[in-house]
Amino acid sequence: MRTTMKWLALLVVTLFVAACAGQKEPATKAVTEIEASVNTLREDAAKYAATELETVEDGLASLKASLANGDYKSVLAAAPAVSTQLSTLQQTVAEKKQQAEAAFAAATEQWKTLSTEVPDMVAAIQSRVDILGKSKRLPKNVSAESFEAAKQGLETMKASWSEAGSHFSTGEPVDAVAKAQEAKDKGTEVLQLLGMS
Amino acid sequence: MASEESGSPPTKDNPYQQTYVVRKGDTLSKIADEYYGDARLYTKIFEANRDVLTDPNKIRPGQKLRIP
Repeated sequence: MRTTMKWLALLVVTLFVAACAGQKEPATKAVTEIEASVNTLREDAAKYAATELETVEDGLASLKASLANGDYKSVLAAAPAVSTQLSTLQQTVAEKKQQAEAAFAAATEQWKTLSTEVPDMVAAIQSRVDILGKSKRLPKNVSAESFEAAKQGLETMKASWSEAGSHFSTGEPVDAVAKAQEAKDKGTEVLQLLGMS
Repeated sequence: MASEESGSPPTKDNPYQQTYVVRKGDTLSKIADEYYGDARLYTKIFEANRDVLTDPNKIRPGQKLRIP
C-alpha cells in the first residue's frame, strides 16, 4: 500500500512537471512577443499615449514576474488581456501620431503666413509708437491711457513673437503658431488702441 | 510739368501700415497733425514716401501716401 502511494505521488509530480513544461514554451513566447511589440512602440507611445503605455508596461512586468516564478499558467491566463491592451495602445498611438503629423503640417503652413504678418504688424506699430512718442500731443483718436496700453501691448507682442521664433527653430511649429497667433491677437488690439485699424 | 516720381526703389508695402489718399487742400503738415497730433512730424510721412515724393510741399490730390 505504501509503495502504491509512493508511485501515485511520483506520477502526480511527473504529470505536473510535464504539464508545466508544456506551458513554458507558449508562456515564454507570449511574453517575448508582447515585450518585442512594446519595445517597438515605446518611443511613440511615451509621446502620444503615456498613460496607456504605463498600463501595458505594468501588465508586461506582471507577466515577466510570473514567468520568472515558473507560473506559466498565470502567464497564459493573463497574456490575452495584456495583448488586448497592447492592441488598443497600438491603435491609439497610430491615431494620435496621425493627428500630430496633420497638426504639424497645418502649423508649418500657417507659420508661412504668420511669419510675414506678425513682423509687419510689429514694424507698423513700432513705427507709430516711436513717432507718437515724439509728438507734442496725441492725435484726437488716441488717449494717453490708450497710448500707454499700446506701448505695453507692443512689448508683450514682441515677447510672444520671440517665443514663437524659438519654438519654430526647435522644430515645434504647433507651439510656434500658438505663440505667433497670440502676438497677432495682441497686435490687433494695439492697432485699435492707436486708431490704426 | 515737374515729376514727383523719384528714382528710388519702391518700399515694400506693409499691410498694417495706414495709408491716406490726398485730398484737395491737404498738406503733409495737416496730415501729420491728424495722424500724429503734431504738424511738425510731417517729415516722417515725407520720408516714408520718398519713392513718390521729392518735395514735401508738393503733394497731389489722389496720391496714396503711407502713414508710418
